[in-house]
Amino acid sequence: MEEIPGVIRTIPLNYYIFLSTALFVIGIVGVMVRRNALIIFMSIELMLNAVNLLLTAFSSYRSDPAGQVFVFFIMAVAAAEVTVGLAIIVMIYRNTRSVDVGILNRLKW
Amino acid sequence: MFYSVVLLSIFGILNLFLGFLKSRAWLLPVTLLFLATALVVTLTDWNKSLFFWNYMMSTDNVSVAFATIIIVSAMLILPLSRFYFPNAAAPVPEYYAILLFSVVGAILMVTYENIIMLFLGLETLSIAMYILAGSDKRNPRSHEAALKYFLMGAFATGILLFGVAMLYGATGTFNLSGLAQYVRTTLVNGASPMLYLGLTLVLIGILFKLSVAPFHFWTPDVYDGTPTLFTAFMATVVKTAGFAALYKILSVSFTGIYSVWWITLAATSVLTLLIGNITAVYQQSFKRMLAYSSISHAGYLLIAVTAMGQTSQSSILFYSLAYTLATITSFAVLILVNENRAGESFSAFNGLARHNPFLAFALTVAMCSLAGIPLTGGFFGKFYIFINALEKGLLFLLVVAVLMSAVGIYYYFRVVIAMYMRGSDDNAVADRIIVPKSYAAVLAITTFLTILLGVAPDLLVRYF
Amino acid sequence: MADKIFYFLTFLSLISAMLVIFSRNPVHSVLYLILTFFCLSGHYILLNAQFLAAVNIIVYAGAIMVLFLFVIMFLNLREDTEPRKGMAAKLAAVVSGGLLLLIMVAALRTADMSTLNNPASFDSQIGLVENLGRVLFTDFLLPFELASVLFLVAMVGAVMLGKREAGERNF
Repeated sequence: MEEIPGVIRTIPLNYYIFLSTALFVIGIVGVMVRRNALIIFMSIELMLNAVNLLLTAFSSYRSDPAGQVFVFFIMAVAAAEVTVGLAIIVMIYRNTRSVDVGILNRLKW
Repeated sequence: MFYSVVLLSIFGILNLFLGFLKSRAWLLPVTLLFLATALVVTLTDWNKSLFFWNYMMSTDNVSVAFATIIIVSAMLILPLSRFYFPNAAAPVPEYYAILLFSVVGAILMVTYENIIMLFLGLETLSIAMYILAGSDKRNPRSHEAALKYFLMGAFATGILLFGVAMLYGATGTFNLSGLAQYVRTTLVNGASPMLYLGLTLVLIGILFKLSVAPFHFWTPDVYDGTPTLFTAFMATVVKTAGFAALYKILSVSFTGIYSVWWITLAATSVLTLLIGNITAVYQQSFKRMLAYSSISHAGYLLIAVTAMGQTSQSSILFYSLAYTLATITSFAVLILVNENRAGESFSAFNGLARHNPFLAFALTVAMCSLAGIPLTGGFFGKFYIFINALEKGLLFLLVVAVLMSAVGIYYYFRVVIAMYMRGSDDNAVADRIIVPKSYAAVLAITTFLTILLGVAPDLLVRYF
Repeated sequence: MADKIFYFLTFLSLISAMLVIFSRNPVHSVLYLILTFFCLSGHYILLNAQFLAAVNIIVYAGAIMVLFLFVIMFLNLREDTEPRKGMAAKLAAVVSGGLLLLIMVAALRTADMSTLNNPASFDSQIGLVENLGRVLFTDFLLPFELASVLFLVAMVGAVMLGKREAGERNF
């Protein structure tokens, strides 16, 4: 048996859960507070990173590799999402000269 | 099922290569042939129960049936694209390839056995839809639809993934049967709070994508702004795949804690029915009305999920098939009317019956089916779902659903009245719409199947 | 020692995450987000997930954030370009976020994690490339291959959306 990393010996797993919950909530607040589409998108990336941290922590504490493989997939999918999202944002900017989600509210009800 | 996923992925790439050809004439028949091949390969899995690749995918009759609905609706929507792209520069092969890939994603959502496959399928389908929503590049409404759909979809993915991480923390597995095993042990030992939080967040994530109230607010704008052809795809394929995924995760993994989640789903379905139906009454645009109608149908389907029992899978299947057929008919007629009369409002349909009796008849059958009038598929769809709710004792759900169906008849029949009772205002509008052959074929098939399901529902139901 | 590093990294990542959503200049937001990613990579190293730490830096900080930065500079966004939301809406968002955090923490506070790490069966090697690669290419081979379909969709879509059509503005 190899040596157990110091963090796993001294820090309870709950602290990691609280940290990633806090990051996740900060991401949600960012989505609600900001109007710039790019910053909203960055807040969503923050939420995904909270998920990644949580999965990695569970995976390490349980010494089960599946969680870390899932993180790898989340990163891959996030990269694909970013390309499409930024393409959409660039396309919109090209036509409306703005990335404010507020002025896109022309349609209602 | 695994082979149809592989085949569709390869066919999608082949489709991209077909774009090099000068002639576009072959594109549609070849793509339909691809889908038909995938359909045949899917149907060979009937009555087999298989697991693929270390319990990543599974096949049973229900998933084969859902995959069949998905592929058939893709086959019915594709011919509508024939005259849809106005300019010659439109990247049609790319559209077809993306549609094929999105069918791959939808099939993954139907057959997943591991949450990682659900995630991949959901994202493949969603990313394809973000792109198609924004494909009308010079229309600001299409931009808006793409941006809203993208931001809301990515947000929902984040919530879903946090839920998945919580479930993993509680159970240590991503496998549906592993989750089910953990849930069984909790009946004895008591569950970790992470299980409940995770389940709630996963449900919120999926319900967001299914546009169930209170997470529906993006739907009308997105459905309205998206090019109508792709709206039809969103309203049928995405809904069917999403409900199959929701039903699968709840029925396989979480039946043990039914008492925890059923009340949440019941509340959301009541809310969805109320909001969807009542707001639909106030719409002036037929397309927006269809968007709200898709929200309200999500509410009916959610009743079947809430009343989880022996027969609820067959009623979900029947309902999604009936809903899919009727929705494809309405969108096909909408495309024709919009192209020829330049309008999506109800008044654009004025006097359609006089000049195009076939179109008017097809749309009337579709509206009857959506409203749940007897002799159409939608009637038996609602009937089976109400029976489910009754068996489970969900009386208040039943009352709300019946009342809201009555409201539904009002707004579905507005367009019928416009077609049959109202004369057209001026002569220019009254010109006869020339129905292309591909549209006529699709409309004939969907109308025939809708009536067939309404007359002889046993043809389908006895298999489940 | 490890716990001191943990507290430091936690503090830094929370502060920089806050700064991401509250700084007015989009470029600053991106830079703070990169700082957050580096802190998270530090956490991954503490958790003995070296592979993910490296991939996090390469993919997130290296590729995704550079893409963001590129788009922001490309579109020439400055702080004055973003209209502000009203104070009431902001306050409501922050309060509801705080309540959400409170609820989630209260729900998770009672979660008993002590049974999870069993020292007898602990394996410190699971986060290394060798082990993860083996798992990825055996158990998770199918999702790994199907991720390529996802990438193909994203690639085709990005090209399709990014290409200028006749009649569209150049820039």
